[in-house]
Amino acid sequence: MLSFEDAVGYNVNYVISEGGCFISQPIVQLQNVTKRIGKKTIINDLSLDLPVGEVFGFLGPNGAGKTTTIRMMVGLMSLTGGEIKIDGYSITKQYQKAIRNVGAIVENPEMYKYLSGYQNLIHFARMIPDISDERIEEVVKLVGLGSRIHDKVRTYSLGMRQRLGVAQAILHRPKLLILDEPTNGLDPAGIRELRDYLRQLAKDEGISIFVSSHLLAEMELMCDRVAIIQNGKLIDVRGIKQQGDDGAESRRFVFEVGNVVEAITVAAQLGQKAEADGQSAIAIEADRELVAKLNAAFVEAGVSVYGIRAQGKSLEDQFLEMTGGEQIV
Amino acid sequence: MMLGIMLLLVLCISVGTRLFSNYLPSMWSVFNWESVVSFLLITVFTTIVAAGSVADEFTAGTIKLLLIRPWSRSKILLSKYVAVILFALLQTVVLYLFLLAMNALLFGYDSSAASDTIAPLYKGTAAVYFIQYFFYEFISLIVTATMAFMISAVFRSGGLAIGLSLFLILVVNSFVGLFAILNYAWVDYLLFIHLNLVQYLNGTPLREGMTLGFSLAVLGVYYVVFVALTWFVFNKRDVAA
Repeated sequence: MLSFEDAVGYNVNYVISEGGCFISQPIVQLQNVTKRIGKKTIINDLSLDLPVGEVFGFLGPNGAGKTTTIRMMVGLMSLTGGEIKIDGYSITKQYQKAIRNVGAIVENPEMYKYLSGYQNLIHFARMIPDISDERIEEVVKLVGLGSRIHDKVRTYSLGMRQRLGVAQAILHRPKLLILDEPTNGLDPAGIRELRDYLRQLAKDEGISIFVSSHLLAEMELMCDRVAIIQNGKLIDVRGIKQQGDDGAESRRFVFEVGNVVEAITVAAQLGQKAEADGQSAIAIEADRELVAKLNAAFVEAGVSVYGIRAQGKSLEDQFLEMTGGEQIV
Repeated sequence: MMLGIMLLLVLCISVGTRLFSNYLPSMWSVFNWESVVSFLLITVFTTIVAAGSVADEFTAGTIKLLLIRPWSRSKILLSKYVAVILFALLQTVVLYLFLLAMNALLFGYDSSAASDTIAPLYKGTAAVYFIQYFFYEFISLIVTATMAFMISAVFRSGGLAIGLSLFLILVVNSFVGLFAILNYAWVDYLLFIHLNLVQYLNGTPLREGMTLGFSLAVLGVYYVVFVALTWFVFNKRDVAA
């Protein structure tokens, strides 16, 4: 990701299209952000750039400082050190300009329970200039609340509150949507719906989305890129390849076989190093062609093959590797 | 709704007096004691609203949604405060007009001087006396509401804010007479000694030598401190609700 800040100066956020590849100033820049409360350091020298138009995951075990970081990004908490810029505006010095581009749910989607969903939206719409009634209707349709929007929020399920929270957050067409643990308390169907829906928002409305979570598998499905933090420190930022049949690449395959020892010997004859994976399976690094060859060899040698499956290294494995498997909830 | 309760109550008092009283009292004597009761109610209601206004947003977590809008924290706080003051003002004005209309209707309008019926030392008509009475009560009401508002913004807990404010207003206020007879200089500067400004209308202050000007000055100082503290805490503190 190139930073154009130096070249074009401040607050410029035009998008240059180069063969379908979008390059622009990062929507969020965290620069050496530090937060101390008392003597305890919650966030330690965190630097991060969020590219425009991506779903960006913020992953870490409980207590790693995810919510604190988000609170600082939306100005609910002060920074002990460093700087946060949203769309080029400093959150501390140009708060109102910076926050204008942000829609957020911090922790739970809390709304006024004694008002209807629609009244809640009107209330928040009034705090921002130029939001028409049509826009409110549009957003309601977008999050799929339908006629329930006129019921009291008290009667809503958590999933519906989550939707209302999102509606409230995108009302003013922000460039950045910040969601803190959005899947918390949702059932699997709700999680799936939210995921599809966020991806659609990012794609259709061009909103950059920043999602925090401690649910690893969820992040893997939802995000284009994931930052991992632990104990207030950034450990790694990595892109997540979208699921696809990438046949050429060598992956780890697991063969369920009748005789492990014999299977390893057969593999060794083909010049492949296999290792036992439990009582009745072997694991081996291979690409598609090699898998077919190995299978044929096993059958020829009289080794029964009960199953073959590719073992993608999941984000969870990577995460555990990086954080040393400790303190993960 | 609170306003409705209050108006219903004074309506009952007036109608009851009209029906069951052996002689017809002046509208102003009914007016007078209805004002005393009503202002106690208005103070309690306003305190509840003021104490809840900021704290409830914290308790419900909705404060986060308010603060992440493109407005400064000061402006959000100010809008909350203005709402509280308007609530107090509305109640006071409606109460005055309602009492005036209702009692004039039930007992007949009485244009005599205030000294005839309710305030022996007051020079002027009873109607003007009550305008002044309501104005003084309104000043005390604002100071009380501002205090409750401060507790609300500083402690961020609705229950605590309401409880503490009501305790200060009801319990401490009823011991004011006791404090007032203490012969210490610092008692002169206690807030609660000065909240009852109406005492100056009848010419008998709680403590010897106290004047309206002095009371207003003390209230003014307290008011400024309340507002400054509220504003400072609300602007500076991290929101972790």
